[in-house]
Amino acid sequence: MAAHAHAVAPRTRAVESTRSWRTLDRIGLLFCWAAGIALCLITAAIVLYMLVKGVQFLRPHLLVTHPQPDLDQSKTGGFLDPILGTLILTVIGISVALPLGVATAVWLTEYGRPASLARAVESGVEIVAGTPSIVLAIFGLVVFQQHIFSWMSFTAQGNAVFARSFLTAGAMMSLIALPLVVGSTREALQSIPRHVREASYALGKSRFATIRRVLLPAARPGMATGATLGMGRIAGDTAIVVILLGASLQLQAEGSTPLLKTLRGTGSTLTSYVYNNSPAGEGNAPQKAYAAAFVLLLIVVALNFAVDVLVRRRKEPQWIR
Amino acid sequence: MSSKRARVAGCLTLAALAAVPAAAAAKPTVTMSGSTSVAPLAAKLASAYNKQFHHSTVFKLAQGGSDIGVADVAAGRVTIGNSSRDPKPTDPGGLVFNKIARDAVCIVTSPQNKIANLSQAQVQGLFSGKISDWNQVPGSTVSGAPDVIVRTAPSGTQDAFQKIFMGTAKVTTAASQKASNGLVAQAVKSDPRAVGYVSLAFAKGLNDAGYKGVACNLRNAKSNQYGGVRNFWMVTRGPAKGAAKKFISWIKHSSTANRIIATGWVPLH
Amino acid sequence: MADLPGRVSGQRQDRRAELGLGALASCVLLLIVGMVVFVFGKAWPSFAHNGLAWFGGGGNVDRQLTDIFNSPANPSNYVYKMHAWPLLYGTAVTTLGAVVIGITFALLSAVFIVEFAPAQLRRVLEPVVRLLAAVPSVIYGLIGILVIVPFVGNHLISQGRKESVQFVVQLNGTSLLVAVLILTVMIVPIMIAIMVDALRAVPSAWTEGSAALGVNRWRTIWSISVRAARPAIVAAAVLATARALGEAIMLSMVSGSVGFAPNPIDGLTFFVEPTRPLAATIVDNAEGLSVKPFGQTLYAFAAVLLVSSMFLSLAGWAAKQPLRKYGNA
Repeated sequence: MAAHAHAVAPRTRAVESTRSWRTLDRIGLLFCWAAGIALCLITAAIVLYMLVKGVQFLRPHLLVTHPQPDLDQSKTGGFLDPILGTLILTVIGISVALPLGVATAVWLTEYGRPASLARAVESGVEIVAGTPSIVLAIFGLVVFQQHIFSWMSFTAQGNAVFARSFLTAGAMMSLIALPLVVGSTREALQSIPRHVREASYALGKSRFATIRRVLLPAARPGMATGATLGMGRIAGDTAIVVILLGASLQLQAEGSTPLLKTLRGTGSTLTSYVYNNSPAGEGNAPQKAYAAAFVLLLIVVALNFAVDVLVRRRKEPQWIR
Repeated sequence: MSSKRARVAGCLTLAALAAVPAAAAAKPTVTMSGSTSVAPLAAKLASAYNKQFHHSTVFKLAQGGSDIGVADVAAGRVTIGNSSRDPKPTDPGGLVFNKIARDAVCIVTSPQNKIANLSQAQVQGLFSGKISDWNQVPGSTVSGAPDVIVRTAPSGTQDAFQKIFMGTAKVTTAASQKASNGLVAQAVKSDPRAVGYVSLAFAKGLNDAGYKGVACNLRNAKSNQYGGVRNFWMVTRGPAKGAAKKFISWIKHSSTANRIIATGWVPLH
Repeated sequence: MADLPGRVSGQRQDRRAELGLGALASCVLLLIVGMVVFVFGKAWPSFAHNGLAWFGGGGNVDRQLTDIFNSPANPSNYVYKMHAWPLLYGTAVTTLGAVVIGITFALLSAVFIVEFAPAQLRRVLEPVVRLLAAVPSVIYGLIGILVIVPFVGNHLISQGRKESVQFVVQLNGTSLLVAVLILTVMIVPIMIAIMVDALRAVPSAWTEGSAALGVNRWRTIWSISVRAARPAIVAAAVLATARALGEAIMLSMVSGSVGFAPNPIDGLTFFVEPTRPLAATIVDNAEGLSVKPFGQTLYAFAAVLLVSSMFLSLAGWAAKQPLRKYGNA
């Protein structure tokens, strides 16, 4: 959405006094303003509240120390591991969801045959969007306990697969992000005028070449929007982390291959940390919860900003409509 | 899913390679999962155990809830399942519940209601809804209908509360059911007329209503004067074996473990 | 999209691409179907034992849940009795409330962003919307339970109001009102993002044509742009409803944790009565999943949510059909 804002040619905005409008129209306009301002106020309230709490409770050392189990809030250490966990999990989740989601969206918009299958895929994606993530988590736990998935976590002493790891949690997280990626990519593809495709075909390009060289580059801002929304959802999910990532306080690696051992191991994320330390959990350290929630918010803001910069650097093609 | 498989296909071979040296490692591994209330204690015990025995054992600790722990250990996914609830008839067969510590359950009210003692009859009256006004409770410093706050059915604390305090009396259907100690504490703190129950560690900042004339604190719980205590369990499939056996018996018998438990929970001895 | 003959070269590559992409999409579908089958399989005993009464009222849901949880060991004696009406009703009321308020609010905001906001304000609003969309629900829940719930409990609920319903339910701030408000704030940004994109995609020639006919800007937007963007508005509503149905963590924190059906007859008190939607019930009780009949009951809740999503998707599709002639669907 941001992309469109900055790239689409400035709309012709009639300079028109509202004085000639009917009263009803003017009241409507007033409501529009009210809605826009309310939006800003709500966001400002949330951000300021978190900022105040964050500044109050966040200390730099919290960012670089490992969390420790303790009943005394002052001895529970920092939240280095949850921060890393959030980053790792978001990267895994989106790197599965983005290709899968874009492929699905392209197939749906550009091919979509047989129509019944397309319709089924479409509703499937919509169903996932309405599934509580706790259901996905429990489903994932059962699926990944199968022995063919033992490489994603590890086989425990009892010869059963543990099923909890960054890989398994990331795989389920990608399902959460999928509807958002599919949705915005489709929206972007559909808003490309038909004559653009026709022009490409007229130049002798195949359908696939048109998709790769014309449509996908043009839909990039839409994909970026979907990816950001998706990453936001992943970074913000709690249920899957608690059930499928084990919510172990520190990163617990599995095996000895660098990197992969972390991915196959368990850990926690900022959301599970906030949840566990908020009144909703058993950690009983609300100040740490506020501090971690503030960091989480900062990460989300940074993600948004990064995508904004990435998108803004590219100039979006301007279609003649 | 298949695309994901394709994506990580390269990793698969790596994983297969990695599995060999991992299995060859000499250190025994003890994997635990389950109760979020037991997790802090289990983690502290594990690190103290490793300090005493020079990192002879690798501990892994995941959370998820008592029932996840019980289900995990029954299926052989973990060595030890942590549970804050007592064994249930519906639990899978062949499990051994090892009691490792106890935890006090306190009846609490808002700091504005400075009630200092509740009898068993009063607790049952309040939680079953028979007492419809705080005026009927001597010592209460508020008036009006009590707001009863309890825990959801699967909670170990709820289980313990029902057994210890309520007996056969049923909790009123008007009660709010909260999913955690913290939510109960939060609700009680912000509502002058509330009454609820929480684990000892969550009673700070709330008014402890006591029980049968005994205040709810660590000392009274340890000396067995305070009646409202529940159990923490480490569950194993069959009797504990190997490293897990050593760990559990260390928790039960060593003085180091006892000292650690005593920092916030009630040791067995 | 259109069935154009792109057959000059690379036809084989084309075919392969179609098959490949189709296969990926089908994998996604298979996975989802697998999940639905799995959930229904698990949920079946709960439905089978109760029949249609499952969806009806009667008795106290929380007490029924407790009884199911404390089932005897013998599988033939498992307790399954569940009359889930208060939970279904709670889900419907919170979701509908949030979506209805949300659509109005989001449409006004989207129109404002696209047409009326001064350039500077628009530059602020766009990141604001994306930020709001990305705020994790646990943060909304945290603010809700630590700030809004105590505020409602201490300032909006009078003693008399509490006493008027004290034998039925307790009023302490966790309420329908707070749940709907926060849920609205959570789903509005998703809707705004989609609506803004759609409003922008309306060819400017259409609106210019309208303006040239002397129609004022306000009327032009509502009769041309918003109408042309209807498919996107429907899509936004579907996505937002899905999100509202599936939201669990935040709702379990603020909506009241009582399986109670707020009663509109109570007048204003209705809004401050607690409720607990299905998704929140699952989260609150997830600890007990491994107790077989209890787990099956929880899966039944999940199955109802899945079916609602299915119908939602169907409704969204049906709503878009007559709009296809606008060429945007």
